[in-house]
Amino acid sequence: MIAEMGIKLSHLQSMLLFAVVISIAFGFLSRRRPIERVKYIIWSLLLFLLVGVGIGWAMYPFSH
Amino acid sequence: MSEETTAVAAPQQNSKREALAFVVGVAGWLVPGLGHALLKMWGRALAAFLTVGLLVIVGAGMRGNVFNSNGNDAFDSLGYLADLGTGTFYLAAKSLETNGADVSHAGGDYGTRFLAAAGVLNLLAALHAYEAARGRKA
Repeated sequence: MIAEMGIKLSHLQSMLLFAVVISIAFGFLSRRRPIERVKYIIWSLLLFLLVGVGIGWAMYPFSH
Repeated sequence: MSEETTAVAAPQQNSKREALAFVVGVAGWLVPGLGHALLKMWGRALAAFLTVGLLVIVGAGMRGNVFNSNGNDAFDSLGYLADLGTGTFYLAAKSLETNGADVSHAGGDYGTRFLAAAGVLNLLAALHAYEAARGRKA
């Protein structure tokens, strides 16, 4: 049913969703105290996005 | 005498704990978050259930490839192993994807990655629950 509806996400939306979900999972699994979890989630999310966008730009010259 | 009793009891306790940890690990694999729930780690249980569930739903919704055991090459087999990591959610992904996979578009390709990531993430969570049940710091 969900596949029939079809979820359409752009590249950026997919990357954002992936980064948010994995960061939350890592934060909860690796830290115990709530404040530490929040810090870890934010830090992990920023790194995911930074590396993702960085790799995107690094590949840019090969597409032209 | 008491030393002998202690010496005999310790390995028995250890083997009991190992068995319990194994059950917790398998439960965590079969149902994401169940391993942590058995250990009363509610936050981690909920996080594992929701994150793995969301990745599976979005992955299937984007028409990602849910691999089966009849893989043609090593990548298919590895994909199958990763998808199996979601436990019972693998069956949910199969049932959600009624139209089959469509990896001719970027969306389907991303969906395949989401499904594989859900499996690997669930295996990580199950391993974490197993280690916590063994008494390791978690």
